[in-house]
Amino acid sequence: MKKRPGGVLAVYRYLDQVTDAMKKIRDRNDFKDHEVFSPTSYHEIEEAAGFGASPVRFFTLAGALTGTVTGFGLALWTDFDWPMVVGGKLGGLYSIPAYVVIGFELTILFGGLMTILGMLVMGRLPNPTQRILDPRFTDDRFGIFVPNAKLEGEQAKLLKQCGAEELRLIEPM
Amino acid sequence: MSEEVKWNRTISDVNNGILANLERPHPTFYVAWGFAIICVIIGASTWAWEITKGVGITGKTSPVYWGVLITDFVFWVGIGHAGTLISAILFLFRAKWRNTVNRSAEAMTVFAVITAGLFPLIHVGRLWFALYWFPPLPNTNNLWPNFRSPLVWDLFAISTYLTISLLFWYMGLVPDLASIRDRVKGFKRLVYGIMCFGWRGTAKQWHHYEAGYAFLAALATPLVLSVHSIVSWDFAMSIQPGWHTTIFPPYFVAGAILSGCAMVYTLLVPVRKMFRMEEFIRPEHLEACIKLTLLTSTIVFYAYAVEFFVAWYSGNPYEWAIFEKRAIGPYAFYFWVMVFCNCIFPLIWWSKRMRNNVAVSMVVAVLINVGMWFERYNIIVSSLAEDFLPGSWGHFQPTWGDIGLTIGSFGWFFFWFFIFCKFFPIVSMSELKLIMPKPLSKKH
Repeated sequence: MKKRPGGVLAVYRYLDQVTDAMKKIRDRNDFKDHEVFSPTSYHEIEEAAGFGASPVRFFTLAGALTGTVTGFGLALWTDFDWPMVVGGKLGGLYSIPAYVVIGFELTILFGGLMTILGMLVMGRLPNPTQRILDPRFTDDRFGIFVPNAKLEGEQAKLLKQCGAEELRLIEPM
Repeated sequence: MSEEVKWNRTISDVNNGILANLERPHPTFYVAWGFAIICVIIGASTWAWEITKGVGITGKTSPVYWGVLITDFVFWVGIGHAGTLISAILFLFRAKWRNTVNRSAEAMTVFAVITAGLFPLIHVGRLWFALYWFPPLPNTNNLWPNFRSPLVWDLFAISTYLTISLLFWYMGLVPDLASIRDRVKGFKRLVYGIMCFGWRGTAKQWHHYEAGYAFLAALATPLVLSVHSIVSWDFAMSIQPGWHTTIFPPYFVAGAILSGCAMVYTLLVPVRKMFRMEEFIRPEHLEACIKLTLLTSTIVFYAYAVEFFVAWYSGNPYEWAIFEKRAIGPYAFYFWVMVFCNCIFPLIWWSKRMRNNVAVSMVVAVLINVGMWFERYNIIVSSLAEDFLPGSWGHFQPTWGDIGLTIGSFGWFFFWFFIFCKFFPIVSMSELKLIMPKPLSKKH
């Protein structure tokens, strides 16, 4: 298995310090593949990271459209397979209003399932070989991990300047 | 909202405060859990009795073939509505108080819908034959389910609702399970690590998570409104007097949200005490829940009034006869319990002092739950008992079988809810951190 690179991990206590560091990092090219950790989804972090719209939306759209087609398709196809007259009403295209319910429900169902799938795929989850760099990142601390950096390097200096409360060397594993 | 809330805690206290309490709940928790198990045993034995003896042990009789069991079904589906309402709709409206209550409301939804799902099976008696109408499979004569039937719509609606609610709830749990993983050791760490999919909390993960959450909320919002509308079509699509009315979908949705919010309050108050979460679920949050309950109560009040007006204004003698009988006929007791519990008692909440009085509010919330059960009973039984032909009229009386199964459903619901409270954070920690003061180095 490929080894994961070591590097420098900076731990921050305050949100504004970590976003400050993130903004400075964005303009530089010696922070390749760095990772930012946050205990919750602060919008400040999202802005500072400068992500575009998440591709999860395409998963949702694809799922929802598949659901609509499946819903109407299922109801119509069974109708053609064995036509039934119910309440004096013919099946098939004449019964489209009744099939809106099935189409609608499957739109939501497939759209929801695909949204979850999209979130997992894009977030690289499930991830059995994950590396927990610091347990405090799911509690109350923020972090920036810079792979292949050294404690005495330029990157570490910048992270420290922005107010990192702790800088740590992470060994490759 | 969060500006008004006086937080005595910071985000650093959240994980400790919420998770430490899970490990040692108040002893009353075990008493309540034991009580729930006793109720489950009562329900299970009644069900066994029904399977051996037949559906006749319930009150079902000609012409009332939908009795207490379908009442229970509609009641539990209704309870399940507040969860996704609070999670999805209030999320889109950015109502911050939802962040403290959404987890327990979602758990309530999941368990309530699972409870509801049992009732069609219990209702049919020989449940192993139900397999024929569950999946869209042709039977031996190659005959497919009738997709024009509201009952088939209902199956699709309820199963979609259960799946989406379950996903929504679990998705919210993922970052919190990662928090637990990072606190515990050994085997527990492995289990929570698998359950959280190896969540690391990177900015990228949060970014996609937030996008996914917003889309799921956007999908779940029309779903919440559709599910109880479709449940109401089980009734409204027929020509039965008292059922065949266009106000049913909004009326059912409002009723469902009313019962759901009342149930959220009923659950939150004891759970907040048992797990010592007063610092995180603040009185302001409970009050916000009550305000939503009060709002839906007035909508339901309005719906009851309009229903009567329409019955009278339609000039349809069959329709009006049913409504007259509901108010002063053999089922008047159920009707007036419903009106007082759902419309009159909640009016006390117009007073701020009463809203903040937990004992009073708890009593009113429980009464709303009772009232909403009676509403469903009233709708189902009174319409079925007396339709167009006086010769086919009958009377419905609940039996011990009905009562046992209803008690069992409450036990079943609370049994699962309490298990959830014991092993999972009942307040969404990552979302709670969002509404607390941000950790900033300089005070702005």
